Amino acid sequence: MTFEEMPEEWQEWLALTPLERFRQSEKLFAQYLAMGGSLDPDPDPTSPFYDPETSSTGAAYGRPGLRVLRRGAV
Amino acid sequence: MGGQACVFYGAAQFSKDVDLALLASEENFSRLLAALGELNAKRIAVPRFDPALLARGHAVHFRCHGGEADGLRVDVMTRLRDLPDFEVLWARRATIRDEGGETFELMSVQDLVQAKKTQRERDWPVIDALVEAHYRALGGEPTPERVAFWLAESRTPERLIGLAQRFPAEARAQSSRRPLLSLAFSGASEALREALDAEARAEQAKDRAYWAPLKAELEAFRRAERKGA
Repeated sequence: MTFEEMPEEWQEWLALTPLERFRQSEKLFAQYLAMGGSLDPDPDPTSPFYDPETSSTGAAYGRPGLRVLRRGAV
Repeated sequence: MGGQACVFYGAAQFSKDVDLALLASEENFSRLLAALGELNAKRIAVPRFDPALLARGHAVHFRCHGGEADGLRVDVMTRLRDLPDFEVLWARRATIRDEGGETFELMSVQDLVQAKKTQRERDWPVIDALVEAHYRALGGEPTPERVAFWLAESRTPERLIGLAQRFPAEARAQSSRRPLLSLAFSGASEALREALDAEARAEQAKDRAYWAPLKAELEAFRRAERKGA
């Protein structure tokens, strides 16, 4: 995807300096953790490090205390 | 290197881990282990920390416990497929300094692109984004090295067609090394897309072949640890 085709959010991200991006990323990371985001690797069967026996899909929406009460049709 | 470097270069918004490419030396390993000790980092997967395994291309995975870095994963490698020795990577690195004087040493974008040419599907859009971000930032200041990088690594038909129009002599010269560049002159975006896809598949096959013996070793290490657990 060329820059011109990117969504506005990504264009704005690229307009930042590298250091500004790093600072913003720190904030996003803190928010992610505050919302209960998991630091486990995403299951990726195409990765050479993937171990089906230890890899899990993780808790619903990251936070261990959250449970899925209703799923959509698929 | 890895996702954190991608944040600096504009190809990611955040990363859940820290990937370090490390100089393989006894002194450096001592410093690494001391730093990991300060973070109370424990190994979380095979293989164990062993310089000989790192030298063969394995990665060692740790997770920090306690403090600000609690839960953070740190992956360490000293050798990456089709990338030169650490000394060369270090000489080509990018350095960014913040207002407080803290410096961040990043794998160069060219080397990061190469490092991302893996069998993992999710790495390929990152390459696209890395090159596009680089072109967006520096397209107005082309140098022979930058033009060569864009022509060698762009993964968007529209960008390749634009580059061939803008730098026709360089694109022609480089087409012997990257044959799909010849398609860019005719503006054949669909054929380019197919050629780009084939290029990625070939590179993924190379990565799978590189990792096949290492994966077999990882499986043996896992079996041994489960047996010993």
